[in-house]
Amino acid sequence: MCGIAGFTFSYGLPAEERRTRFGIRVRRMAASLRHRGPDAQRALLLDGVALGHARLSILDLAGGAQPMRDPSTGVAIVFNGEIFNYLELRERLASRHAFRTRSDTEVILASYLDRGIDCVLDFIGQFAFAIYDPRLKTLWLARDRVGILPLHYTETAEGLAFASEAKALFAGGWRTPALDARGVKQTLQLWSPVVPRTAFEGISQLAPGSVARWSNGRLQTWRYWDLDLGVEPRSQLDAAGAEEELGALLEDAVRLRLRADVPVAAYLSGGLDSSLVCSIAQSQLGGTLTTFSVAFDDPAFDERTFQDEMALRLATRHRAVPLGGREIGELLPAVVRHAEQVLLRSAPAPLFRLSGLVRACDTKVVLTGEGSDEIFLGYDLYRETRVRQFWARRPGSKWRPALLRRLYPYLPMSQQGHELLQQFFAIGLDDPQGPGFSHLPRWAASGRTLRFLSRGFAESAAEEDPVASVLASLPARVRGWKPLARAQYLEMQTLLSGYLLGAQGDRMLMGNSVEGRFPFLDHRLIEFAAALPDGLKLRGLTEKWILRRYAARWVPKGILARRKYPYRAPISSALTGPDAPAWARELLSREAIRKAGVFSEEKVEKLMAKLSTRSGAASEVDSQALTAVATTQLLVDQLLPPPPVPQREVDAVDLETA
Amino acid sequence: MTVRARIREFIVESFFVDDFSDDDSFLRNSIVDSLGMLELVAFLEKEFRIKVSDAELVPENLDSLAKVCAFVERKKIVGTAA
Repeated sequence: MCGIAGFTFSYGLPAEERRTRFGIRVRRMAASLRHRGPDAQRALLLDGVALGHARLSILDLAGGAQPMRDPSTGVAIVFNGEIFNYLELRERLASRHAFRTRSDTEVILASYLDRGIDCVLDFIGQFAFAIYDPRLKTLWLARDRVGILPLHYTETAEGLAFASEAKALFAGGWRTPALDARGVKQTLQLWSPVVPRTAFEGISQLAPGSVARWSNGRLQTWRYWDLDLGVEPRSQLDAAGAEEELGALLEDAVRLRLRADVPVAAYLSGGLDSSLVCSIAQSQLGGTLTTFSVAFDDPAFDERTFQDEMALRLATRHRAVPLGGREIGELLPAVVRHAEQVLLRSAPAPLFRLSGLVRACDTKVVLTGEGSDEIFLGYDLYRETRVRQFWARRPGSKWRPALLRRLYPYLPMSQQGHELLQQFFAIGLDDPQGPGFSHLPRWAASGRTLRFLSRGFAESAAEEDPVASVLASLPARVRGWKPLARAQYLEMQTLLSGYLLGAQGDRMLMGNSVEGRFPFLDHRLIEFAAALPDGLKLRGLTEKWILRRYAARWVPKGILARRKYPYRAPISSALTGPDAPAWARELLSREAIRKAGVFSEEKVEKLMAKLSTRSGAASEVDSQALTAVATTQLLVDQLLPPPPVPQREVDAVDLETA
Repeated sequence: MTVRARIREFIVESFFVDDFSDDDSFLRNSIVDSLGMLELVAFLEKEFRIKVSDAELVPENLDSLAKVCAFVERKKIVGTAA
């Protein structure tokens, strides 16, 4: 994988002027993305456009250099990602295009020359790319269907600037970094800003599954793909048939994702999804798979027993990195620098450490089990939605809401009395057809963090209602879908692409120059799962039913039967205790909170006091608030303004003018 | 300080809310989360020297400032009588 950057400017400037005015800017941008592509950084200045690239070489190590330009048309591309079916596409295009390299980059170029930007529809993969077409004087941007790879842009006095990460837009001098109050407020309640908004003023992100056209000083964006959960379910499909199809698709998705000119390893969390992916990969590789895990010192978070069991059974070369709360606290500054987002949980930190281990083992590519819970209805949220729908049909029922206790046996309240639990989950019960029905209890809980905002900051974002914003962003057709489908769509728009694949995914992987690959997010599998009847996914209250049935071929009973384990990492004690890292003591001080201006120093002080004196575990809501405050403080401290790009790294960017 | 003022202060200090009325449901308005309910009960037991049984952990007793006050007052009377 890689980093991309670039911008447009006026046409007709002499080469020398282009070089002096814009050469340094594109080099700085490419250099700021060095972590995404340490193998080479190159930039290309054309008439009216600059393209920059930082390369992590995975395919066609010798020939795949970028930016790449088609000699006959002058069409140029910078590309981050993988087109996994490039071999098949290449074969199809070979009669019309004389290929000069073995890279997938050239396959995109050839596909574009063949059928224009609609070529994205042919790609099975994860990608963010920019194509400049001098014949049309048009810059195209495109992002993969679910948003595995990031792509940001901003309109400038010269035209349009784009980059994989916001830091490159700052490095290019296109924006003065400032927080977007609305984006921050949205993140505090929804876990991510509502696309196209980001944490930074004036910086937008291209929505997943979208393309953008910049032409004649005008930007147009549209979706070329969207999750369609309104399709008629294939009710004639029986369980055995569904299991066969699922197996064939998932095995093919893994097969395509093992394509690389470097070894492909895998993450093994010890849960069902990663255990399944590892099993399939190991069988396809014939026994050479390496697996990587995080092991937590705190037994409440640790999954080591299951990881070891799977690694032993699959006979993988297994490596685990042990991690304690203190190290998580120490990792957070780097985590935030890469994530460029306010975080509500510390869970990205262990993944950052894990990609560090991968890189230290000279590995560049890992498979992960991410995405399965979204497409096969694995989250508790879906079970909760089903119970609450069932309850909403007879709101007076005593026993219907009692099912909630079965969902959340680990919540302290459910041991105490289910009537109190019910009261909490009754939010929105009077409107079961409401578009946000599934997410209202969660958003009500996370919305409590907004209480910590300072008066000034709250006023600057007074117009912003995050729940209203995200619901307004839903396409009209989604409102007509069934409650579970609406829940799933919301989950994929907010949590998956805005947080799990971004802050906790791509950014934590690329922070250590490692590429993640996600077999469950193969769009053929997503579309297959979308057309399955609900009963094959969430059967009663058994989640991922059809996947479990198929997984029984690969994964031992102990892993199949284990309770779903929400992936969490410790945080509160790490930041408030006597071992708190120096940055936390400094940035969480009254003075620093006041200076940053986002949160109320009185309330943060009370929160810190509460967390440091409590006897038992910190509540989820309090931990979330502390994480939000700490990561916002880090964001302000580290990125406003961002550190200058080291000159030697700028000098290392090879600049070509054509 | 009255019972009501003491409980209100605890809610404000522990759950960081600025403003809520005596009859606002703690849970429906997300003023207090599930673990917070246990914190509240522990506070009541200690502050007012009462014992709260499992059967008393119901919204009628605990889910608003007015309900908590009434509950505490009832318990204190029972406690004094016993």
